Amino acid sequence: MVNQFNVSGRNGFTDIIGFQEEIGKIHAAIADFELGKRLNIAIIAEPFGGKTTLLDEIERKNPGRVTKIGFSATARNGEEIALPKNSKRILLLDNCHFFYMRKIGGFETLYKFLEMVAVSPEKLFITTWNLHSWNYLNQGLGLGKYFPVQVNVPGLAREELKALILEGYEEGEIQFVGDIESKKKRFVYIMKYPLSLKPVRKEINVPYLKINIPYLQKRFHKEEKQTSVEDLIFDKIYLASKGNPGVALRAWEMGIEYPQIRPEKTGNFSFDIELDYDEAFVLSLILSYQRLKKAEIAEIIGSLQRADEILFRLLNQELILMDRDLYCKLRPEALHSVVSFLKNLRVVW
Amino acid sequence: MVGTTTGTEELSNLFQPIDTGILFTVLLIILFSYFLSRLLTILLAKLSEIVGKHRIKVKILIPIVKLGIYGIAVYYILIKVLQFSGQQFLVFGGLFGAALGFGLKDLFSDYVGGIMIILETPYQVGDKIKMGEYYGEVNDIGLRATKLITPDDSFVSVPNGLIFGQSVASANKGTSEMMVVIDLYIAGESDAGHAMKILREAVVSSKYVYISKDRPVVLLHKAFPFYTRLRAKAYVNDLRDEFKFESDVSTRAWVEFRKSNIQAPQLKLLEYSPEIKDP
Repeated sequence: MVNQFNVSGRNGFTDIIGFQEEIGKIHAAIADFELGKRLNIAIIAEPFGGKTTLLDEIERKNPGRVTKIGFSATARNGEEIALPKNSKRILLLDNCHFFYMRKIGGFETLYKFLEMVAVSPEKLFITTWNLHSWNYLNQGLGLGKYFPVQVNVPGLAREELKALILEGYEEGEIQFVGDIESKKKRFVYIMKYPLSLKPVRKEINVPYLKINIPYLQKRFHKEEKQTSVEDLIFDKIYLASKGNPGVALRAWEMGIEYPQIRPEKTGNFSFDIELDYDEAFVLSLILSYQRLKKAEIAEIIGSLQRADEILFRLLNQELILMDRDLYCKLRPEALHSVVSFLKNLRVVW
Repeated sequence: MVGTTTGTEELSNLFQPIDTGILFTVLLIILFSYFLSRLLTILLAKLSEIVGKHRIKVKILIPIVKLGIYGIAVYYILIKVLQFSGQQFLVFGGLFGAALGFGLKDLFSDYVGGIMIILETPYQVGDKIKMGEYYGEVNDIGLRATKLITPDDSFVSVPNGLIFGQSVASANKGTSEMMVVIDLYIAGESDAGHAMKILREAVVSSKYVYISKDRPVVLLHKAFPFYTRLRAKAYVNDLRDEFKFESDVSTRAWVEFRKSNIQAPQLKLLEYSPEIKDP
């Protein structure tokens, strides 16, 4: 299985880092299945959030008990999702958001898959879904009814991200270089506290000032300059990525000038997105599928010429990447700006 | 001799002459209130466009801000500048009532209507409403009139007093999304089940659709003697795209209908029968 969403090209980044609670939840559902209670599982994550890695971990921890099938392109018919004859009782299906196309007649494969899930009580389906596709399909087609256990993959903690990034290097291999004076300005951060307004079922981010106590303590104790720069860099990566491992690795890659990395070159993502509604819709498709061919975009919006125009605009604003096979992918560093922009337009929910 | 004063004299004694200084101050307050309310209206309108999905929540503030500014201005003029006493208020009220009787009734009704709209919020700025014979997006709620922009981009000023005599229909009631009803008619012989499936997918896959637990897509079907009506009830994610949504769904659905040999109703002429004669 190819992990196409592993941005850095380094594998195994979450073999043991993070996701322990989620793994526990999945194993509990597997144990229930062995006792005769089948609760299919949907693992839901935003792009680059590590759902494939989590599924790999489930496979690794259950050798010989599971069959894993990954999908990397849109499945056009039921045959493409047919299960192998010798498949095990527990099925791991990665990237199930490729089972539909957002157009008339584009939901047949998904209907077939859901039928397969419904008529196969002897099998446990553990599936992964892109968060935005899941939200769309769950609201539009009631997907959640087929997957009673829903595991939302959370962002990694700052220390987990640090361990993930540094696991590929020897100790002391990377030099954290920075101007110590510039750090004086960073003893206070503006953070956002997600406040849940239950009566109206909304969540708002309330900005607040957070004092960087570890930094102040280090300043007070006059600790070594090197440690502070390292902390500053990982603080910036954590803030820019919001715990998303793919985005964090991208931030690291963009910042590093091997073997040195500087705080001023790390995590400075800024995107001023200016798109019309059609362009925003196409961007939402790329966000929801994570990878989509130009021809498929043209098929959904009904015009190849218009698809060309829109993709030109998206490439021009450095929001997406297009490979040689004409697959369009979202730039990891643009993820949070794109999601915020599209949610504001209500193109994604 | 102790004289008795006439009613006119009492009235003239009650109100001190207003000098030009006071008049100028009153004028300044009115102008200041007007420009402040215009400025805040423009700023809130701009802000509402920036915040996207919360547009209508910000626009709700506009009439409230206006009412507040004009209310403070009136209070300031009457109490601080003109320094009205209780007795003066009573007399002023009487004069005001007489003025209403002489023809300002409709104007007053419009202003009271404006205050009622702000307090009771039967609709808000940004809503799509039908008021009287007009349908459109509420662009502004003034104290006297509500301004609507109709689908053909006409700017209509509807007196607020209309809410006392006519029903007002608000299609979205303060939210960005709005239900759109899309009717398609097919021939009675066509496969209605398949057509319903196509219509559902046309709605669900539309770029303008908004679906949630509280905003589901509903499909209805009704057979008539010579045709079948398919009705989709779904929410458009921004009420400004109401007609684009309808057009998008209808166009794509009809393309698929033709591919699936689902026909539009045909005109059927009854054969002439010579036995049937006009009376």
